[in-house]
Amino acid sequence: MKRKVLLTLITSILLACNFLFPAKGTATPEAMNPRPTEKSSSGDSSSDIALIGFTSIRLHPGDGDLQIMLAKEAQKATALSQLPVVEFDATWCPPCRAIDEAFDAKNELILKAYDGIYIIKLDVDEWEWNDGRVQNFAFDGIPVYFKLDAEGKQTGKVIDGGAWKEDIPANIAPVMDKFFHGD
Amino acid sequence: MKAMILMKRIILPGLSIALLIASCMRPSRAADGTSISLASFTENDVAVTIQLDHDRQEGSFLSATFTPPEGYHLYSKDIPINGLNGLGRPTRLELLSESHIRVVGELTESAKAGVPDFEPKELLVYPAGAVTLSLKIDLPPGRDWFNDAVSVTYMACSDVLCFPPVEGKVVPIRVPGADVLDDQ
Repeated sequence: MKRKVLLTLITSILLACNFLFPAKGTATPEAMNPRPTEKSSSGDSSSDIALIGFTSIRLHPGDGDLQIMLAKEAQKATALSQLPVVEFDATWCPPCRAIDEAFDAKNELILKAYDGIYIIKLDVDEWEWNDGRVQNFAFDGIPVYFKLDAEGKQTGKVIDGGAWKEDIPANIAPVMDKFFHGD
Repeated sequence: MKAMILMKRIILPGLSIALLIASCMRPSRAADGTSISLASFTENDVAVTIQLDHDRQEGSFLSATFTPPEGYHLYSKDIPINGLNGLGRPTRLELLSESHIRVVGELTESAKAGVPDFEPKELLVYPAGAVTLSLKIDLPPGRDWFNDAVSVTYMACSDVLCFPPVEGKVVPIRVPGADVLDDQ
């Protein structure tokens, strides 16, 4: 009888400890969703996607010099423990729209792939895509993604829509997940 | 053995008849008349050639052939000029308002545009590969050549990647008077 009481007591203490002092890294809803999102400074809220777990902003040429803005955004990303990535898109680009729609639909695969990412969107029409370049970014097609370092400079890691064969979340998400979270 | 008989009696004669009918229905303008290459360029990964075809029976046709990279498609000539809700751009061949050439027919296409694999389904696309658009035209009379220009619009995408659109690009051409072609 005493053993039974003792066992019940120990179990209760263990459960109480676990509840009061959760182990570090436990995926509580709060721990999974700690990162704030941010809007474009020029107020183009319709083009921004505000989702938990990553940040998405859009920069416009009228906001200032691109390199300076990228450096600032990379600092913000680092402060949020997020990885800064530049995405080039356009309003006329169906594959770009398909990715945005996956976000709008809150597709779980896509949200998971983008977790911890700070997306800096640049519209190629606004930023004048000429001869395959937007300033020091060189690319042939969109959508395209460039990883940045903490200073907002290109790391040399680039991926475009050609990396997945069909514009469906099941194809896009694993490729982007690997690109964002791989080496 | 049965397969051989089937081949000899049905498939081969059938194929021959089909080929015969096809060759009667679509006579090659180039084979019977004159073809003149007017301009060619490559922009945003699409090769474009502008050509004038003429024969005495059918008249003159101004054509533009748009050749995107392998696996890429162009959009239907019939989608809005600014795309469907902004998406895509039509493939177009147009004469400028000040042109000496007169359009006497509708813009025709070498391939039928179809429903895409992706959304929105109303954004009609041509099958991946080259597309030729043709305009039946009347050339001004005379034996002189004259300077003119056409305007082309297009945009190439694969299912996952797009090149930027080319919109209303003016392409200078030098065109013969109608009598030059009739003399040939």
